[in-house]
Amino acid sequence: MSAREHMRMKGDGAMGSNGSKALLEREPRFDDMAVSLLAMPRLPKAMVKETKQAIELARRFNDAVVRPYALELDRKKHEDPDFLPWEFVEEANRWGLYTLFMPTLFGGQGVNFPALSYFLEELGSACTGMSNLVGVHYLGVATLCASWNIRLMNKIMRDTGEGEKTGKPCLISLAITEPGAGTDVEEVDLVSKAQLACQAKKVKGGYVVNGRKIFISNGHLSFWHMLVCYEDLKNPQDTVVMLAIKNGMKGFSFGRQERKMGQKGCPASELIFEDCFVPDDLVCIDAEQGKKLKGSPKETHMQIIDYIVAASRAGVGAFGVGVARGAYEEALRFARETEVDGKPLINHEWAQCMLAEMYKNVAVGRLTYEEANYANDLHGMFKVMEWKPIFYYLKYMPKPIMDKVIQPFLNLGVVTWLFRKIYFDWQKDTDYQCASGWGSLAKFAATDIGVKNGQLALEMMGRAGLRHDRGAEKHLRDSKLLQIYEGTNQLNRLNLFKCLIGRDVPGARVFEE
Amino acid sequence: MKTTQDAELRMLDQMAADFAAKELVEAREDHDRYPFLPLFEDVLIKAHEVGFFTLLLPEEAGGVEQGMTALSLILDDICRSDASLGGVIFTTTLAHEMILEAKGGALLPPLASGDHSYQEALIACPSFDNPGETGNLLRAEGKGKKFKLSGSIEYVVLAGLCSRALLPAKVEGDEGYSLFLVDITNPGVNVSEPVFSLGLHACPACDLELSAVEGALVGQQGEGNACFTAAADKMFLAAAAMATGVMKGSFTEAFEYSQQRRQGGWEIINWSEVRMLLASLAIKCKVADMLLSDACRAAETDEAGWSLGARAAAIHIQELACDATTDGIQLLGGNGYMKDYGQEKRFRDAKQIQSLLGLTPIKRLDYIWRIREGENPW
Repeated sequence: MSAREHMRMKGDGAMGSNGSKALLEREPRFDDMAVSLLAMPRLPKAMVKETKQAIELARRFNDAVVRPYALELDRKKHEDPDFLPWEFVEEANRWGLYTLFMPTLFGGQGVNFPALSYFLEELGSACTGMSNLVGVHYLGVATLCASWNIRLMNKIMRDTGEGEKTGKPCLISLAITEPGAGTDVEEVDLVSKAQLACQAKKVKGGYVVNGRKIFISNGHLSFWHMLVCYEDLKNPQDTVVMLAIKNGMKGFSFGRQERKMGQKGCPASELIFEDCFVPDDLVCIDAEQGKKLKGSPKETHMQIIDYIVAASRAGVGAFGVGVARGAYEEALRFARETEVDGKPLINHEWAQCMLAEMYKNVAVGRLTYEEANYANDLHGMFKVMEWKPIFYYLKYMPKPIMDKVIQPFLNLGVVTWLFRKIYFDWQKDTDYQCASGWGSLAKFAATDIGVKNGQLALEMMGRAGLRHDRGAEKHLRDSKLLQIYEGTNQLNRLNLFKCLIGRDVPGARVFEE
Repeated sequence: MKTTQDAELRMLDQMAADFAAKELVEAREDHDRYPFLPLFEDVLIKAHEVGFFTLLLPEEAGGVEQGMTALSLILDDICRSDASLGGVIFTTTLAHEMILEAKGGALLPPLASGDHSYQEALIACPSFDNPGETGNLLRAEGKGKKFKLSGSIEYVVLAGLCSRALLPAKVEGDEGYSLFLVDITNPGVNVSEPVFSLGLHACPACDLELSAVEGALVGQQGEGNACFTAAADKMFLAAAAMATGVMKGSFTEAFEYSQQRRQGGWEIINWSEVRMLLASLAIKCKVADMLLSDACRAAETDEAGWSLGARAAAIHIQELACDATTDGIQLLGGNGYMKDYGQEKRFRDAKQIQSLLGLTPIKRLDYIWRIREGENPW
């Protein structure tokens, strides 16, 4: 029997249909191996055109805004660590970058979310700090979305749209890290052992928050802050609370900006809460709302974290690819301009191999964040918006109808109920495992590549690469943070193990040494 | 490094460690903010007083007449805390060594502290270059010992701190370059603002533009490369010592942090992946230390093939330091990336140190070329 005949047998063969299924579910599972292959037929074709347009826009923005200002901003922050790049944020706001990837349903421009990764790669290739000034806003958006509180999503995202019209940027940040807990708050299995101090106590009509959050990217520049904290610090895994905090609320203030090695344009802020009252209508999700869901409080907590990081880690992977590309492009420019031992460097075989290695790193890194995005398209945060009927409905629905007719329905509890049903109650284990596993893989693979290319570029350029005015050293400094935030690369390796390896190994336990 | 056999070395080792602890640790962050904060001149004055800038010079030049082991020990100790001072010591020692290799000792007046300021003891030079490599050379016109130098040269280290620089320039028609000692306070020399760089912020470099400035030929015309190569043989060990010190500093801070920082309910050292990273860092430090000790011993005893060994040790240790300091940050998580700790500076400094004495890939190619030319690698 020929191989093709064997293939045609499918379920009719000796093993039966269950046997075929078992073969495809054997690790590595077909669904995890061929994520892009499975996703592509299901995705709207218009995503290709949108992505092209997003890349084109990013390149125009790089030429006009990012490249002329990148080194100046970096140097300015060295000189004055408290400087805030409002000028850049206002310019990005004028270009519409803060609503570009928000759904039209919520007043955004509706470019598909996976295109954001390509956009961030482009910006990151010129300046990772500025790429963060745009990208981290969407981390705030993703956090808000992970609560599936449609009323608040509509309210807060429309504020960003309004800020675009008025010229007053309205960015959204995520506040989760605390002085005593970084890695721990990214993983529900660890959070119960974390040294937490930021607490939201339930009071009549809302919550009162006390504590501090640190390392909050874009904190000082954002208007809304998605605060993840806990009602009971001794039982945080079951009492997570996500609150929407806005500037000017009584008891909320900004502390210092961290003195970072790189990505200096993007502030890492301290957020201080002192008896800060947050009314019930700004509660994105809490244990009370979670009671209506199928999963336990801990499971819901993990679902929220996984939805956020599965998407955001693909974005960090895109930063990694961007910075790797920036380093490669500086090295290439140097090789074209420089003679070594009387011969153009670009014509030395070793230099050609080094450049090819760097190019390969960029390409491989890009494949990982693309695959992670496909996993999110199929199983993660994007699955509803990129379902063809919804995608085209939102894309071609006239804006006035969207704003005037459809929008009021978003404030009905039933819409939130429906979205939470889809995203929480109907989520399968294999869904989060695939999306979260690929998110982690993209994050640590692409960011390791970012650092590697930074190192290689400086090796090739020697003394020239050390100079701030050549830009290469900045890429190296910028790249290192990517291995740390959004979960250290060690945590991401463990998450990959948990999601894609350990699940199939009886007796395997993670975070239980 | 192994110092147990030699009381004088032990004393130097202790002195350098004490100096680093007293003068460098506390103000590290401020020192690193040069040129946006003032240069650590008080440290440079004290370093000169204890003889750090004249370590290898003969006594008649006001030097301490120590060997490579002593220099390496001191750089190792200093660079654990702040490699910028190591960069100052390295650069001026390289300039001194090139002058001595060129038999130009007469150009070095007695430089001992007490008689002279630290600025007089320092000599600037492009210590990140192998001068012939990328054409970062001036033009020279003239004959005999007096020449006029013109053109521009990038990244002359210490040029903003002292009055003299040892600069490579090519006389038209010569195949190789020559070395010239130049008074860079001469009005014909335009010294740029300090070039803001990745690391070693308090060991600044400037770009120079010269317009028919008098320069004293050092050594033979066209033989600059021979002087550089001979001096570099020794200075590779110094560069390796700097990288070793940075790496050890990184390990020490990570090890201490790992026993204090709690995560997942206990100190992070209790997680085996953290211990794995720490072990990897510690092993790199130990390997570097052993390599450096042996390479210094071989150099001091003039063992056959020592210079090839020095280069191999330096290239390897410098690479180890770049990897180790990357993990050094990682072990501190977000804190490692912040200037409140020393790890991010060590990461930058390690990479900067890797570029001392020229392009790393060319150093590797030169290594194999020497073997092909008949040098015995073993």
